Amino acid sequence: MIIIGNSMASIRSLIHCFALAVLCGSHGVSAEAIADRLNTPAFMSSHAEQRLMLDITAQGHQLVAVGDHGIVLRSTDQGQHWQQQATPFSVMLTSIFSTDQQHAWLTGHDGLLAVSHDGGVSWTPSLDGHQINQLRLQRLQANVSALKARVDAEPENALLAEQLDDAAWYADDAAMAVEEGPSIPLLDVWFANRQRGFALGAYGLLLKTDDGGENWVYWGDRLENPDNFHLHAIRLDHRGYLYIAGEAGLLFRSVDGGERWTRIVTPYDGSFFSITEFQQQLFLMGLRGHLYRSEDGLDWQAVNTGDKATLLGAVVDAQKLLLLGQGGLLLQSSDGQHFTRLDSGERRSMSAGVAVDGGYILAGEGGLLSVESEHE
Amino acid sequence: MNKFSRLLLAPIKGSEELAERFLFHHRLTVLSVFTVLTLLLAWQAVQIRPDASFVKMIPSAHPYVENYLKNRDDLAGLGNSIRVAVAVKEGDIFTADYQQTLQKITDELFFIPGVDRSALTSIWTPNVRWTEVTEDGFVGGPVIPPEYDGSAASLEQVKLNILRSGQVGRLVANDFRSAIVQVPLFDKHPDSGEKLDYQALSQQLETLIRDKYQSDKVTVHITGFAKIVGDLIDGAAQVAVFFAIALLITLVLLYLYSRSMTATLVPLACSVIAVIWQLGLLKLLGFGLDPYSMLVPFLVFAIAVSHGVQIVNTIALESARGAPRWLAARRAFRALYIPGLTALLSDGIGFVTLMVIDIRVIQDLAIAASLGIAVIILTNLFLLPVIMSLLGIGERATQRALKATQKPSTYWRRLTWFTTPVGARAAVSIAGVLLIAGLYQGQALQIGDLDSGAPELRADSRYNLDNRFITQHYSTSSDAFVVMVGTEKDHCSSFNTLSLVDRFQYYLTNIEGVQSSVSLVDVSKRVTSGLNEGNLKWRAISRNQLIINASLAYVPAGLMNPSCSLLPVIIFLDDHKAETLQRLTGQIEQFAHRYDSEQIRFEMAAGNAGFEAATNEVIGIAQYQMLAWVYGVVGLLCLLTFRSLKTLICIIAPLALTSILCQALMASLGIGVKVATLPVIALGVGIGVDYGIYIYSKLNTYLVQGMALSEAYLNTLKTTGKSVAFTGLTLAIGVVLWVFSPIKFQADMGILLTFMFLWNMLGALILIPALACLLKCDATAAALKSTHQSEVHDAVK
Repeated sequence: MIIIGNSMASIRSLIHCFALAVLCGSHGVSAEAIADRLNTPAFMSSHAEQRLMLDITAQGHQLVAVGDHGIVLRSTDQGQHWQQQATPFSVMLTSIFSTDQQHAWLTGHDGLLAVSHDGGVSWTPSLDGHQINQLRLQRLQANVSALKARVDAEPENALLAEQLDDAAWYADDAAMAVEEGPSIPLLDVWFANRQRGFALGAYGLLLKTDDGGENWVYWGDRLENPDNFHLHAIRLDHRGYLYIAGEAGLLFRSVDGGERWTRIVTPYDGSFFSITEFQQQLFLMGLRGHLYRSEDGLDWQAVNTGDKATLLGAVVDAQKLLLLGQGGLLLQSSDGQHFTRLDSGERRSMSAGVAVDGGYILAGEGGLLSVESEHE
Repeated sequence: MNKFSRLLLAPIKGSEELAERFLFHHRLTVLSVFTVLTLLLAWQAVQIRPDASFVKMIPSAHPYVENYLKNRDDLAGLGNSIRVAVAVKEGDIFTADYQQTLQKITDELFFIPGVDRSALTSIWTPNVRWTEVTEDGFVGGPVIPPEYDGSAASLEQVKLNILRSGQVGRLVANDFRSAIVQVPLFDKHPDSGEKLDYQALSQQLETLIRDKYQSDKVTVHITGFAKIVGDLIDGAAQVAVFFAIALLITLVLLYLYSRSMTATLVPLACSVIAVIWQLGLLKLLGFGLDPYSMLVPFLVFAIAVSHGVQIVNTIALESARGAPRWLAARRAFRALYIPGLTALLSDGIGFVTLMVIDIRVIQDLAIAASLGIAVIILTNLFLLPVIMSLLGIGERATQRALKATQKPSTYWRRLTWFTTPVGARAAVSIAGVLLIAGLYQGQALQIGDLDSGAPELRADSRYNLDNRFITQHYSTSSDAFVVMVGTEKDHCSSFNTLSLVDRFQYYLTNIEGVQSSVSLVDVSKRVTSGLNEGNLKWRAISRNQLIINASLAYVPAGLMNPSCSLLPVIIFLDDHKAETLQRLTGQIEQFAHRYDSEQIRFEMAAGNAGFEAATNEVIGIAQYQMLAWVYGVVGLLCLLTFRSLKTLICIIAPLALTSILCQALMASLGIGVKVATLPVIALGVGIGVDYGIYIYSKLNTYLVQGMALSEAYLNTLKTTGKSVAFTGLTLAIGVVLWVFSPIKFQADMGILLTFMFLWNMLGALILIPALACLLKCDATAAALKSTHQSEVHDAVK
């Protein structure tokens, strides 16, 4: 009897175990397998500075760089040594902006927006693609409701009806994006001060905060960008005007700190990847070596650098402008008109950089690269 | 114990009488049967062909290899391919002449049998394309434009296209002075089912490509597993030359030793017959000769000669005592039947233990070698005395033997010092010191290959020079380790799969020894960035499946299977040293352990480095297993024969010392334990035990007769000892020639076998008497004597 009792018990517990194993096992395992890169901590690598790095900034005395696989690197010795910082995400990080010595923001794929309050050591996600999709949907649905009210008020206004149709279409699009998941990458971030800032990204995504990231609003509907082209870079000039450069020759300007934006016609319909200011002149650069210069941000003249490689970014200091291109192209100028090629011996593309004593630290393919400045 | 051993040995003892009666009563029948069989087997033996198979050289039951075999069809091109680099001597590749040559070579390779034509790539094949991002999106085309006419303008176009194709470092050298034709091979042709003929392929590459196109302007460099095997087979054929030289040396030495034509030619002929039988039987059993077992015939010959000399020596002694030729032969047969059979059985079983190693080439070698040993029992233990009983040893040899036994040899007497307590202690202490030194040095012994390139071949061989050329001028190393990522059907390109593989590849970059890795992930990232105008910030796996699908519209061959359930990750390594591989597999296992699930599995391994890793693992375990087996079996046989633990120690201790010193030698010469060298230790023990058994049994005979140890030993030395010394030297001189083999592993084997033959001989001649003295084997002998008598008593009863 005892034996039977025992065996019954063991069979029962076996079944129980089995069920548990199937349930918990498969659950546990699949949860690990499809571990979301949005909330999987970055792998700590001893060679992280050799991975693809996309942006770098100076924050006080230190340098902070971001790149692929959620890598954030800090250097306190002008880029000679780098320490990877533990981050709770492993998506590709695309840009970094520091508002002061303590506070900095970074953007990444899958709509990641994260903040650090301790000089880039620890990072907390502020937004992700799921939330962004919701923000966009809320905003666009609100637009539809507002327009509906106005159409109800003046039913004869054909223009309003058309606007409502458009708004409804964008709202549907946003609803679909919610289904698709957090697939839109953020590409650049800029803060005016600790409170007010903008983040932008693919498919016309623009976000705004006025309370240091507590609340974000979708701001993309403020741009005249009906085809939802990518937005690549945001930049403030010395007069306090804001610029956003994007795909398909897009350039927007705001003279009121980002509340209202106007589209500026540019002489090129290819992509602009970066906009920068050097000696109070604006430089707009992009696909296939296209480079434009402007005094006022409205009227743009082509600058011939003699090279056809796509320009991805620029580094500026008081004396020099350095353009970073594909295939390791480095173009240096001290007047913004005449450019000389810097031969770094590199064939890898660079996308961002900072000036340090005697040269530059550049971020790009193959990681961080130290380049000496050309002395004349 | 006694009963047990008697039970086991009874058949051997019983068979002795039976065999003796049969052999010596039907001598002519025996001779004619042997003649007929030899002719038949010789006819078979000449038909034996070199043979090599990719799968045979890797441990087929190792999980890595099982995983590979499971996915073999989907991994076409990753397992087995060759690279032909065509280099200019001056200038660069952008000349009409060069391009024409490259085109012709590409065409020529296309038609070589065994080539997977659809996957053949060079800048002249239409599947190699360039792409570029413009304001209008992607544009692209084949690297060689359709309107190519060899003019300066179209060459300039080719140059531009190459730069835009991303093939610099892959199909075109980093310095633009050579280009590669990548030629994937079918191990088995999919239509005809025919096995790839490596030798034929290698020859065609030489005649149709290298000889035809190499000129004062252009050089051709060929690498790949198929070429290694081809070169190995060609090089191994030179063993025939070594065989001939060894035969000649043995002939001369035998004559000098015996001064008798019959005593020289008969053992030699019997040994050659043994080789013929062995080869003929191999062919009958359906085996070919692969580069590794190419040396077995030589080994068989060497062992056969060693036994032949023992017999002829004994016959000479019996003749010297006045026996007529038939009686001398018969007595020799009787005297040596049991030690000879025991020794040969130990050899044979020693070789059979190699079967525990789960690598087909080693198992084949084990079969070939033990077959050879079985044949020696017939040819040298049976046939040889029969022939000698007819021909006789000759007057001169008899006189010489007589003189030798009577002459008070000062030469041999010196060795009896080792039977004195002082001498014995000295010898054993030196052995002890050597043992400790050997054990210390042996710790540095490594598993696997320690050199770069193809370690089977010499560092300065043409293959390795070619390989170095390609490694130096291109970005992909020749050491590839492939991890197979298995998913559900159609899921190989899902976001979840790719993003985990992306993490995996990033994880790999942190492992020392990993150069780079390539998979579908890299394609998707590159094209996604391309679809976004080359923006680096888009060089990631998109979370949008539609973008992923678009990015994988054109996938190079071999990065996913047709049902999209497998994506290989190809890892390029700095080298394929055991240490590098071990580190890599350990790390990958950790990753797999953490992330494997029902949806995705990270399985090792294919690629040359993958197989190397599997082989190393198998060998690492097998080397101890094999030693345990070989010593276990040999020890048991000795125990059964001599029925004394002390005797066992006397015989085994010198062998063990040799094994340990051999490992130390390997460590200090930088020879790793690998497929080629692993069998050497088993072979060494197998052959070495012969010496011990012959010497000890003779010594025992004299001890049983009541002689003192030193006297018994002196007599042993004059008879058996002499032939042991002689065979040890002869064999060593024979194998030392292998050092000149163009094949590195044969040279390694040559060094190690020479060392083992010599040390085993010295060990047997010096350590056995010394140990016997220290262990007071006289007492044992006395005990033995009484057992012997009681046995006789039993038998009489």
